[in-house]
Amino acid sequence: MSIARWVSFAKVGTTDLVRLAGEIDLVNAPEIGREIVRRTGAAEAVLVDLTAVSFLDSAGVRLLDVLVGDLDDQGTPIRLVVGETGVARMTLQLCAFRDDLLATDLDRAADELGR
Amino acid sequence: MAESGGGGPDVTQDLRVPWDDERRGYERELLAARRVAEASERRVGALQQINADLAAAPTAAEVARAVVAAPGQAFGAASATVWLCDPDRDQLAAVAGTDPAGLARDDIPRTSCRAIAAVARRGDLHVIGSVEEAEEHFPELATKMRRTGRGTVVLLPLTAGPADEPAAAEVLGVLGFDFAGPHELTASELRVVRLLGHQAGQALDRARLYDDARRREGRATFLAETTRALEVLPRLMPRARKLVERMVPEIAEWAAVRLQVGPAGLLADAGGPAPDPARLDERIAAVVGDGAARLTDGEGLDPDCAVLPLAASGRVLGTLALRMAPGRRTAAAEAAFLGDLADRAGLALENARLYEQERAIARTLQRSLLAGDLPSDPRFAIETHYQAAAQDLEVGGDWFDAFLITPDKLAVVVGDVVGRGIDAATTMGQLRSAIRALAAAEAGPARLLERLDRFVDRVESARMATVAYAEVDLPTNEVVYACAGHLPPLLIEPGGSPRYLLDARSGALGSRAGRTERLEQRTHLTPGGRLLLYTDGLVERRNRGIDAGFEMLARGYAGRRDSPLPGLAAGLANALVGRDHADDVCLLCLSLGTDDRLERSIGADPVQIALLRKDLRGWLVAHAVDEESTQAVLLASSEAVANAIEHGYRDNPLGTVDLVATVTPEAVQVRISDRGRWRASSTEVARGRGLQLIRQVMDQVSFDRGDGTTVNMRRIRRELR
Repeated sequence: MSIARWVSFAKVGTTDLVRLAGEIDLVNAPEIGREIVRRTGAAEAVLVDLTAVSFLDSAGVRLLDVLVGDLDDQGTPIRLVVGETGVARMTLQLCAFRDDLLATDLDRAADELGR
Repeated sequence: MAESGGGGPDVTQDLRVPWDDERRGYERELLAARRVAEASERRVGALQQINADLAAAPTAAEVARAVVAAPGQAFGAASATVWLCDPDRDQLAAVAGTDPAGLARDDIPRTSCRAIAAVARRGDLHVIGSVEEAEEHFPELATKMRRTGRGTVVLLPLTAGPADEPAAAEVLGVLGFDFAGPHELTASELRVVRLLGHQAGQALDRARLYDDARRREGRATFLAETTRALEVLPRLMPRARKLVERMVPEIAEWAAVRLQVGPAGLLADAGGPAPDPARLDERIAAVVGDGAARLTDGEGLDPDCAVLPLAASGRVLGTLALRMAPGRRTAAAEAAFLGDLADRAGLALENARLYEQERAIARTLQRSLLAGDLPSDPRFAIETHYQAAAQDLEVGGDWFDAFLITPDKLAVVVGDVVGRGIDAATTMGQLRSAIRALAAAEAGPARLLERLDRFVDRVESARMATVAYAEVDLPTNEVVYACAGHLPPLLIEPGGSPRYLLDARSGALGSRAGRTERLEQRTHLTPGGRLLLYTDGLVERRNRGIDAGFEMLARGYAGRRDSPLPGLAAGLANALVGRDHADDVCLLCLSLGTDDRLERSIGADPVQIALLRKDLRGWLVAHAVDEESTQAVLLASSEAVANAIEHGYRDNPLGTVDLVATVTPEAVQVRISDRGRWRASSTEVARGRGLQLIRQVMDQVSFDRGDGTTVNMRRIRRELR
């Protein structure tokens, strides 16, 4: 099964946009993580759109945690777009992700990063 | 005879004395000659006996036993020892002796400066007449002679080859014998001694050839039997296991197969002790690097650990490492045999790897197709079950499917493609898609089957596939069904008896012998009624007729009329075919209305968690559980099942995890249990986050670790929070 079902990539200005969709769990999270690292290695800024995610478990949280940590170390700005409500927002808030990482609106977050 | 006095010559005496002397001398000579003749006779007798023994000795050890008796019997030697050459190890080993205490258990390298080695190298008889003489060349022998009180030592090479050409002779062993005092051997005795060495050498040569022939025959039999034993096991791990189990102890005292497959590789070993791991890794890396066997390495740790490449089609697939059984020939001596064994094993393991690969692809394909989204709707519930054949068979072509043709029209399918393996899985996927594409609201089942007949004209592998297909009009509960060569659906309605839907039957898809006119039949499904579609694995068993199978199914189905739908299909499969079944089993049960209890049992495979979530989600939605509670229950259940798989079944991939969920107007209660042994894992930190999530999203959580782990969780529904 191709992981394109769960992850796709695009550009918004100079920012790399990573779109996650469907169910992210311990079966596909490691591979998705590797793909994201491979594709965003040289990004100026990264925006992860989680609004189409229908399930996110602790393996998915770990994937995001590692990604944020790596990008923070490199000084690359990152935002996680989770919408007003939804599965991703619920899980990430339960895991106490920093408020400054979470965004509700994709365009606004892209503008912020682009500045 | 009196002495006469006087000065005159005593003629008598003069005459008498020479005569007497002559007579005495003659008697002495006669006596000596008789002694010589007797000794010679004794020698000849002894040698004849030894010759007969040598001719009858089939092994080198028996030759040695016969030879070691000779010096005592033929020459009156005090003791004797036989050393045999071991060409593999280039050394001499004492194998027989008349004096058990004198039989030194130390092996002598051929290159040693000791007397035995010197004689073996030179290939000529050597007599050491005194301790002083020994002192000059062989101090260790002198020490031994003093210790054992020996005066003379004879060292005789046992040679094979032409007797008249000593240079061409091959030394196969050394016979040593000794005498208590100084003992000079006569020329004729020495001739006999040399003859003995030659005869014993010939006997050893014969025994060696005989040994070689027998060993070659044994090796050939071993290879043929091993190839056969591997052939009957198609899967990779069992094949690798079988190989090392056959090798130990027959060939080696320790053997290990390492294959570079999958992320972790594969290891099968048997026997022991295992060699030093660092040293072994080093050698394995060298063999994998250049594909050349490392049979011995005279120094360092574990010099006798051999590593051979397992290769197929020019690629090194892995390695076969071994240590030969003690006291047996070395790996270097068995190079040809071991090379042959590794070649055959490499081929057999490569075939198993390909088989495994194809099998995995077929399984993945099948699983991905069966895991496709089934519709969930409060108006109906669908329960499916797929059980692969118990034996290590390739995947079958059974499938189930359900989809909405229109928002009000549901289609359910169970089908079976001819054959097994990746072809069957692919064909199944094509047929499944074809049905989804060709089903149309206005067409109906008979028209769909006609279209499928045309489809199999183009997709030949789908020919003779069988299909049971039904369309349900959800507002009216009208069911229209058709069977193309497939077993009849089974219907049970509240208060009624189970009934097989025996109408609308026609031949398999694309069948030339079957009835080609496609029929369909209409019937009504009362709310609460359940329609069961299934494949033949459920009712067909070798040891009972199909009629008995139908009857059992109807009875089992009726007996479960009040059981909750979740788990029903699995329960039926278990009751009818059990765990030890020879065919795949596929069931789909459609029910109008839903149950307030969900029961699921999944294998310890993370991939199955997604399927479980899907069922759980459909069930929660059907019970109108609020979105937030639904997400909470899905997350907590997922994490708990992942825990069970990662901790409970770390060592047991065949374990199962059970989920029981119940819903009341107030809350959702979930119980997840495994029968594994809780083991801490390296993903402790990550799992810790999972446990934390469970506690956060559920209102009550309790863990019970007894015989396995049980997690009880409760989530209060939002309207009551």
